Amino acid sequence: MKITDACVYPYPAGDSSVRRLALEARSCGYDSIVASDTPASEICGITVIPGIFVTGIPAKDVQNRVKKSRSTGAVVSVQMGDNGFNRAVAGTTGVHILRGIGVADKRAFDHVAARIAADNITAIDIDLSLLISGRGHPRQKAIHRYLDLIVLHRRFEFPLTISSSARSVLGLRAVREVTGLCSLFGMDETDVRAALAGVGRVTEPRESMVKVIS
Amino acid sequence: MSIRPPTLREKRRYLLARIDPAGTNPEAKDLYYAVYEAVVSLFGDMAAAAMQPSVLAVEEGHVILRCRRGAEREFAIALSTLTICRDIPVALRIRAVSGTIESLRERIGRVSPQETSAAGQDSIPADDGTCGTPQYQFGSIPVEIVVCHGHKVDALEKGFKNTRRLFLTTEDLEIIHATTISDGL
Repeated sequence: MKITDACVYPYPAGDSSVRRLALEARSCGYDSIVASDTPASEICGITVIPGIFVTGIPAKDVQNRVKKSRSTGAVVSVQMGDNGFNRAVAGTTGVHILRGIGVADKRAFDHVAARIAADNITAIDIDLSLLISGRGHPRQKAIHRYLDLIVLHRRFEFPLTISSSARSVLGLRAVREVTGLCSLFGMDETDVRAALAGVGRVTEPRESMVKVIS
Repeated sequence: MSIRPPTLREKRRYLLARIDPAGTNPEAKDLYYAVYEAVVSLFGDMAAAAMQPSVLAVEEGHVILRCRRGAEREFAIALSTLTICRDIPVALRIRAVSGTIESLRERIGRVSPQETSAAGQDSIPADDGTCGTPQYQFGSIPVEIVVCHGHKVDALEKGFKNTRRLFLTTEDLEIIHATTISDGL
């Protein structure tokens, strides 16, 4: 079970090199990080997983994008949109993570989308940067969405991932701090550990639904 | 007001936190306001009053904080939401929680980073055959090294407008004109 930060932005999107992020992630207690626009590598014992973050395109184009990136071994994360979009994307094979529930509309992710995500093993990401650097209404909204998400997660058991969305080493938080932050919306330590291992769960090869028995 | 007997005094807990990035030495007062804002914005005035957060000292890149006993967990959560102190991005990494300040001071002595504040120190790639102070670059960007600690290097981007701080490692840096042979040879 690898403890993974599901989204970091190294230089040039952020101000830290991927090596430095990996060093800091190791000292924060992580085993791997998903970094945008970075080739897969192993740095100081930290596995750097390439991440593709898809934002602002229709569901059809998401499918095309996923097909292109299938051979790269990258973790594909798609920014949430409206309810119809989320249902379509949650059921798309090759999409690993749905991101941005903290800023999405309150009806964007409902029980139907949750069931589709559970069936398709698509994770929903908990972005901690909204709690860390957000203040006032945006943070209250994010906590409310995450509380709602945990209710659906307990019912449908779709995977969760946790990301810091760090653009700097200063944005990374240790696993203990992540546990504390997640306790704000009702996650205990076991839930947090499972969510930090969520990237491994969504990227592991899936068993085929049809088995040839003879 | 007379001092209360020990059994009637409020029990306190002291937290030791490292201030990141290294080399940032904020004033204790500024840090107190930042900590208080983080606590109040996350838990509200009632919880802040019960928690009694306080900054006792800033020394050797660390800060010693205080709160009421039993509130240290919430205090630590609030501290993890601290991102800015007087418009400077900072992060507090909690190293220890203790019942006495003295034990935290001992710990500072043990874990205090051996950072260097200038370029050209032990773990920076040495410049062979160049004259004067070595010039470094990250990719194609010339940078000026601010702090170096082990493999970690904090550097300032050199430029007319952009002078943001970059967080790099020694492997990321290259010496500009490393092959230039000095006049003395």
